[in-house]
Amino acid sequence: MTTETEYAIEVEQLTKRYSDDLLAVNGISFKVRKGEVFALLGPNGAGKTTTVEIIETIRRPTSGKVHLLGMDVTKEKRNIVPCIGVLPQGFSSFDRITVRETMLYYSRLFGGRNDDIDRLIALVNLEDKANEQYATLSGGLKQRLGIAIALVNDPKVVFLDEPTTGLDPRARREVWDVLLGLKKEGKTVFLTTHYMEEAELLADTVAIILSGRIIAMGSPAHLIESNADYLVLTLQSVDEKAFAVVGGLGFEPEQNNGRSLQVRVTHMDDIRKILNAMDIANASFLSMDVRKPNLEQVFLKLTGEALSEGDDGEKEAK
Amino acid sequence: MNLLVIGANLVVSLKCFYREKTAMFFTTMFPILLILVFGTIFMDDDNIHYNLCLQDLDQTGASAELAKGLASTGKFKVLPVDPAIDATKYVKDNKVNLVVVIPKDYEKSYTQYLLNDDLNASVTFRYVYDPSSSSVLEKMQLLNLVFATMNQEMSAKLPFIQTAQESIHTRKYRFLKFFIPGIIAMAIMTESLFGTVQVNTELRQKGIIRKLSTTPITRTDWILSSILHQIILAVISTTLMLLVSYTVFDVRLNINAWLPLFIVLDVFMFVGIGMILTRLVKEAQSASSAANAIMFPMMFLSGSFFPLEMMPDFLQKFAKVLPLYYLNEGLRASMVFQDNETALSYASTIGILAAIAFILGITVTRWEEGK
Repeated sequence: MTTETEYAIEVEQLTKRYSDDLLAVNGISFKVRKGEVFALLGPNGAGKTTTVEIIETIRRPTSGKVHLLGMDVTKEKRNIVPCIGVLPQGFSSFDRITVRETMLYYSRLFGGRNDDIDRLIALVNLEDKANEQYATLSGGLKQRLGIAIALVNDPKVVFLDEPTTGLDPRARREVWDVLLGLKKEGKTVFLTTHYMEEAELLADTVAIILSGRIIAMGSPAHLIESNADYLVLTLQSVDEKAFAVVGGLGFEPEQNNGRSLQVRVTHMDDIRKILNAMDIANASFLSMDVRKPNLEQVFLKLTGEALSEGDDGEKEAK
Repeated sequence: MNLLVIGANLVVSLKCFYREKTAMFFTTMFPILLILVFGTIFMDDDNIHYNLCLQDLDQTGASAELAKGLASTGKFKVLPVDPAIDATKYVKDNKVNLVVVIPKDYEKSYTQYLLNDDLNASVTFRYVYDPSSSSVLEKMQLLNLVFATMNQEMSAKLPFIQTAQESIHTRKYRFLKFFIPGIIAMAIMTESLFGTVQVNTELRQKGIIRKLSTTPITRTDWILSSILHQIILAVISTTLMLLVSYTVFDVRLNINAWLPLFIVLDVFMFVGIGMILTRLVKEAQSASSAANAIMFPMMFLSGSFFPLEMMPDFLQKFAKVLPLYYLNEGLRASMVFQDNETALSYASTIGILAAIAFILGITVTRWEEGK
């Protein structure tokens, strides 16, 4: 029975324990509004894939409540499935079946029509590859097909588990373009990723998960604002003596990319102070850049570890 | 159960099979190759004959007559060996398994026995043989039978114990007629077992099952479409085998309602075992090994290739716990002997076994990630 609610997903005190030693998800709670792009961001083995698979009805929780469009995921799988589209982690399909046939197959599983298929193939820019077998597609094209399949039933909520993992930068950008298109269409998208820029670019809300617990949640801007009260000044192609000059003012300059200097400052006055000192000391630089920290720096601050590409979902699944 | 979903799944499975040319070739051609090979070997099974190396040390009219007599049985092609050569050396040097040596005084003893009624007169033929040869004992037994018949005729008395052969079947059957139903049962077993195990483990490993579990297809739809897929393949492969055996070897088997029933039972039995294996074995590679471990003993011990009577007693008992035995015998009862009563008895047994395997298979097959 569907209950009208402003939230597409409601997770309350969700816990998933695989064994006595392995607690994958530890009492997490969050809500995803309808029409928003929600990103669950975390390092390998943090509990992202377990969480998303419970919401997708693939796994059962140990305890806690999970509702999707007002329906209990443990009791109403049959009603939930037609409302969701899923791109599982490490998506794969039948090697010898063409793009079009694959779309047709999944469409028939949902009792769909053929005319939707051409629209979706166009949406993910696979018209040229429509008659190619899955095995012959590149990684990026396979992921785009996976996204098209996730949309084949015109779902209310789309789950994308690590949609760009393993792709080269160009293929990643192509997938992002498709996801931005979904965002424009107003779909509710639940994204798990360990790419900061992906979450920052696409998500309305980001939840950072670490060791099965959500340690921060909010819009990317809010997370940056509330967790990084400093600016980053970068001076390109600086003199050797610049480091001594900046250090002498009580800051902690770091060498970045060869001859560039990077330093954290709290106020704009600090920047002025540094530039004056450089001028007096006759220390030259080619260009300067002042930025707020990005999500990656926030993540580093919160978790104390950098994110890297890997197979956390597989680890979790095992 | 959703027929549209089952149909969609069936179409994809058949396309995957058709487009995997190597797999398709081996699945359909392997049983046909077996039929061609065994058919050629046993094409002339009523006229088995052996090469017989005969060294005539006597070199007389009587010994020449004996050689002619051996050849005229139709069981031996007589190859003369030079009397000057040592028979043992000849066997070793020429890689033959037997030389029969007619002794020097054969004609003299023969005359004494027949014309002079000297009942103590006798001759001894030496069998110089290589015991490592698998067929030499059979050849010597046949020779002994021929010589026993000759002795009997020379004694001019009717044998005291005579035999009369009465087949329970009204017609004479060729070996190939027994062989082909066994190959049909074996081919369907291979396709169903391997098809189920390999496809399911591969799809699970690739995460396709996980993706499918987020669509409306149910475990029942999936299993039913797999069964239909295997039944279609089994019908195609059985038709091909019957066509080849009829056109190439003129083997005429009775096609009746028992054939489709046994095909369906064969598929259910081994798809069921395949599902159980898929649950137990995680990796596609180990799944193939597990399927082989089940399939090979079944192939050789259940009487697909040769009669069970050739096996030791304990293996014959063991064969009767193998499901393929009931399929082999059931198909033979219906296709060769048209014995409905026996076919029904085998169909009932395999029906019960198939139901158990299939229900167990369904029970252990997991669609969602349970943990």
